Amino acid sequence: MEVSSRADEFIPAGLASFGIEADEIELAVIGAAHGMFWPPILELLELDTSGAAPERSPDLSGPPVTT
Amino acid sequence: MSGLLDRRLRAQAAAIAAGEADPAELLEATLERIEQRNPALNAIVATFPEQSREMLAAAPAGPLHGVPIVIKDEWPLPWRAQRFGAAEMLAPSAPGESGPYRALRDAGATIVGVGNMHELGAGSTGNVSVYGPARNPWNTERCPGGSSSGPAAAVAARLVAGAVGADGVGSIRYPAAYCGLTGLKPTFGRSAMEGHHMAAVSTTIVSGPLCADAADCRLLGSVLFGEELVAGDLGRLRIGVVRDLVSEDVAPEVRVACENAIEALREETGAEVREIELADLDPAALATVLIANTEGLSGLSPSRLNDLDPELSPIGRGLLKYRMLLPAAASVKAHQVRALMRQRVAAAFEDVDLIAWPTVPAVAPPLEAPLVELPSGTLTADQANVRGGALANLTGIPAVNVPVGLSDGLPIGLQLQAAWGRDELLLDAAEALERANGRRWVDSLPPLARAAETTEA
Repeated sequence: MEVSSRADEFIPAGLASFGIEADEIELAVIGAAHGMFWPPILELLELDTSGAAPERSPDLSGPPVTT
Repeated sequence: MSGLLDRRLRAQAAAIAAGEADPAELLEATLERIEQRNPALNAIVATFPEQSREMLAAAPAGPLHGVPIVIKDEWPLPWRAQRFGAAEMLAPSAPGESGPYRALRDAGATIVGVGNMHELGAGSTGNVSVYGPARNPWNTERCPGGSSSGPAAAVAARLVAGAVGADGVGSIRYPAAYCGLTGLKPTFGRSAMEGHHMAAVSTTIVSGPLCADAADCRLLGSVLFGEELVAGDLGRLRIGVVRDLVSEDVAPEVRVACENAIEALREETGAEVREIELADLDPAALATVLIANTEGLSGLSPSRLNDLDPELSPIGRGLLKYRMLLPAAASVKAHQVRALMRQRVAAAFEDVDLIAWPTVPAVAPPLEAPLVELPSGTLTADQANVRGGALANLTGIPAVNVPVGLSDGLPIGLQLQAAWGRDELLLDAAEALERANGRRWVDSLPPLARAAETTEA
């Protein structure tokens, strides 16, 4: 199934589950954003990050602390 | 006084300190220039001559004594609440003292205006704002970049010599590139951030300077950092380049200008250029956007979203509602990607001192349709820009945009990134690049400022 057709269900269903209302223009914006973000989000979820040692509350002012 | 207005930030400060210029005259001339030039730009959305004069009257001796500065509509001032470029900012907003305000005040600076910005800081173009779009002084039909659109346009048009921006996902560097300025995104946590409405939750946003050149950024940056950014010896510089979309899927004229600039920097400093591996930059960019967006969720609720100010743009309303649909698993993954990229970047900086790539892959797009043509096809400017801008925010490292060329009368910028805490090195390298280019690009004036110079003379 294409992202666009999945979005036809996902967006109104998702908004409805939160009780969020959206007009036609907002829905068009959300649809465009979804079309842009969703495929890379799916790729992101599949990305192998097992090599990354987790950082608890990383101090972003410096390099990662290796333990 | 017109001559002093067109001089660098450090020259204005030096002239006042030496008693060669009257800061009160400079303030009045600046306000007059804003009145003359700003209508074509919409760079500055508020001036407050009375408060500016009071600030000057009470100004202590300091490195910016009497120097006019613009600050982005992202921080409160004691006499004005920030609006975040939006009809509704979904966070508490009230007049008050922010960190950047205090830093400027204590340095003796005079805040003369508030700079326009992209609505809610949510765009790299500056074409959406409750105040209307800011315009690029190089071509007023083009985007000035965002989200620090107004500060950049104001400095580029020489309304002021320095401005304070903010950078959560490239928001200082994009407008610096589009407007032909030097813009520093500091190491996370190193510059003043108190009083920002997201200071307690954001792990990407920093304040930083936008100026014509690196020496001015050093001066204004030192004020924002609360410590002097001392110039140093570059030594045997190692410049890392990445063969990836970020450096290759760019407009040909941008690619050539940036490659020439890297070569010029190599020649000027005797540096070594090394190709380095930095995988997964695209997922890293998405992770940055996800982190920045979810950190902004604390002010959102379904009921709040159903009661948004109708003056908020349709794009803003739609994107705010879409944030609620982003999966938590992606947010968790984004933090794993952050850990991964921080380790990779740390490893890269064991082999090189700088990582260089184009700040943005194409020159400023039209305001009406901010799309860019790249070898891979047509992308929105936001999609394209985030590739190069996000890594510094994701990992916390500092980065700077340096003007390196013009194409069709629009600026091109090279981004230099360094390891955590090496902000000074970036400014040293930017100054070396300016020397290598004979200061050609940092001394270029946009047509709007050139034409006005003639008219005002």
